[in-house]
Amino acid sequence: MLNYIFRRLLALIPVLLIVSLTIFLLIHLVPGDPAAAMLGENATQEQIDALHTAMGLDLPLPLQYLRWMGRLLRGDLGTSYFMKGTVNEILRDHMVPTLQQTAVAVAFAALVGVPLGMIAAVHRGRAADRLISGFSTVGVSMPSFLMGLGLVLLFSVKLRLLPSSGYKEIAVAGWRTHMRYMLLPGIALGFIEMGLIIRMTRSAVLEILSADYMRMARSKGVSRVRLFLKHALKNALIGILTVVGLSFISCLGGAAVTETIFNIPGIGKLTLNAVMRRDYEVVQAVVLVVSLLNVVCTLILDLFFAMIDPRIRLQ
Amino acid sequence: MGEKILEVHNLTTRFATERGEVTAVQGISFHVDRGEILGLVGESGCGKSVTSQSILRLYDERRDVRYEGEIRFEGRNLLALPEKKMRSVRGGEIAMVFQDSLSSLDPLFTCADQIMESILIHRKISRAKARAEAVEMLRLVGIPDPEKRADQYPHELSGGMRQRVMIACALSCRPKLLIADEPTTALDVTIQAQIMELIRDLNEKLNMGVILITHDLAVVSEMCTRVAVMYLGQIVEEADVVTLFEHPLHPYTQGLLRSIPTVKGGKREELSVIEGTVPPLDRIPEGCRFRPRCPNASPLCSGQMPGLKPVGEGHRVRCFLCGGEEKEARS
Repeated sequence: MLNYIFRRLLALIPVLLIVSLTIFLLIHLVPGDPAAAMLGENATQEQIDALHTAMGLDLPLPLQYLRWMGRLLRGDLGTSYFMKGTVNEILRDHMVPTLQQTAVAVAFAALVGVPLGMIAAVHRGRAADRLISGFSTVGVSMPSFLMGLGLVLLFSVKLRLLPSSGYKEIAVAGWRTHMRYMLLPGIALGFIEMGLIIRMTRSAVLEILSADYMRMARSKGVSRVRLFLKHALKNALIGILTVVGLSFISCLGGAAVTETIFNIPGIGKLTLNAVMRRDYEVVQAVVLVVSLLNVVCTLILDLFFAMIDPRIRLQ
Repeated sequence: MGEKILEVHNLTTRFATERGEVTAVQGISFHVDRGEILGLVGESGCGKSVTSQSILRLYDERRDVRYEGEIRFEGRNLLALPEKKMRSVRGGEIAMVFQDSLSSLDPLFTCADQIMESILIHRKISRAKARAEAVEMLRLVGIPDPEKRADQYPHELSGGMRQRVMIACALSCRPKLLIADEPTTALDVTIQAQIMELIRDLNEKLNMGVILITHDLAVVSEMCTRVAVMYLGQIVEEADVVTLFEHPLHPYTQGLLRSIPTVKGGKREELSVIEGTVPPLDRIPEGCRFRPRCPNASPLCSGQMPGLKPVGEGHRVRCFLCGGEEKEARS
């Protein structure tokens, strides 16, 4: 098992190298100049050139990449051209609200989606199944900005239960207030994922319910409830965990939309602004960190699978 | 004749499908004596497996299936038993071995776990004792180094081993009846012989009845005391194994027997085949179900369905043209 983990960690290195190179090239090859953006429209060419030299942007691209990598290896993500503080600090400050929002979204999606998917599978073809499947189709096809606006309209404007936007830190405002602010964006973000999780859970469980080993277990006298809880759930878990894990990753990416609607200072908004201003260091750092999270998430999933399924352990 | 432990009377199994209700098994009757091996023979889709799974009521009764008739096991009608009582019959008194051992064993549990599952359901003993029994069962079915194998997962064993594990599961509670649904189809010939030998051995040791479902007549002639031949959801002929092989009456049985390859005088004979294919269950022919493929079919056969009539000691056949039905139908 340790060997397996070690090999998986080793495989991360080339992935991250490729990601870093891609994002570096992408952001540097796209037209646009941070120096010009900083100095404004009236800047002279001399001023821009001077700033380029100061920022190291006059160096050839490969050299710039190597300098960036060198700092990365020391754990230094760089400095923002526009914002105060190092990129490390900026990222940390903005990552927290996004992760919190994503956690709420995934928790909502999984807690609602998995049970509904199971109910649909068990009642295949009946009214409950059709209702749930219809609901999941709505979930999958509802854009999160629409969902967000709808939720605000209902819970904030009509019912006046929850705040319509903003962000409160746990340390400052406490858990309850924090959650009141996180609930609507979380649900808006997680709604699509909930739809997906319902579908995947339903099909994973359905497939297992008709498996030969379920029939075999039944022929041994195992009760329906035990059959479901012991054999079906354990076997379906891999499929279910995969979608839940993937939903975490896509929520991180989708957070930009809900962060904008609900005015949450997360990495989604940060990235958007940084790209607009060609704030190279920030964009690179965000993409790199999100990819790292992505890869780590997949790794954790794979380790889970290896724990559940002996056939994966073997390979 | 020994004591009958299982009597099936007029069992009909219907399935609800998208194209309407389909009758997979139509009014079949047979019995199994204590300690005997009954062969259930027929082509794919003839209802052998449906029959066996109907006995244990493995289909989803809330949705898919409707049973009619009676399945008497030691005096109780299994079809009328409440689910809870039925559970104690399953695995405890009647056990089943399936065809594909790789898909029939749960991939996420060890062999010991799967054997212990039956033991713990049907017997009030501790986990430690159940485990010891599971290892003992593995030894009984001839698995070398059972202590080590017990902790392995199904994918780590060979096909023959897995089939033995499945038999160990089935026999762990000393059932009175074992239903073996093509237990060796997925195995190669030498392993096949070993598994069959094992089943016969345990049948003698434990004096349990066995229903052996197969399409392999060679296996039947080796193993069984009596045989029921099924065609399209019905039993078409039933006899003891010697009678069936020496005096088969039904044209279908004769066809099956002719299709066993033989080598005579060093020269290979051309294989005989039964013309046509088994029609789908929603297009069952009128009259005798075998008529469209029968070499002897006469106009008589298309009018009405022949009954299963006795023609001799324990020998029954469903055909107008051979034996019992003939005179009756013509008069």
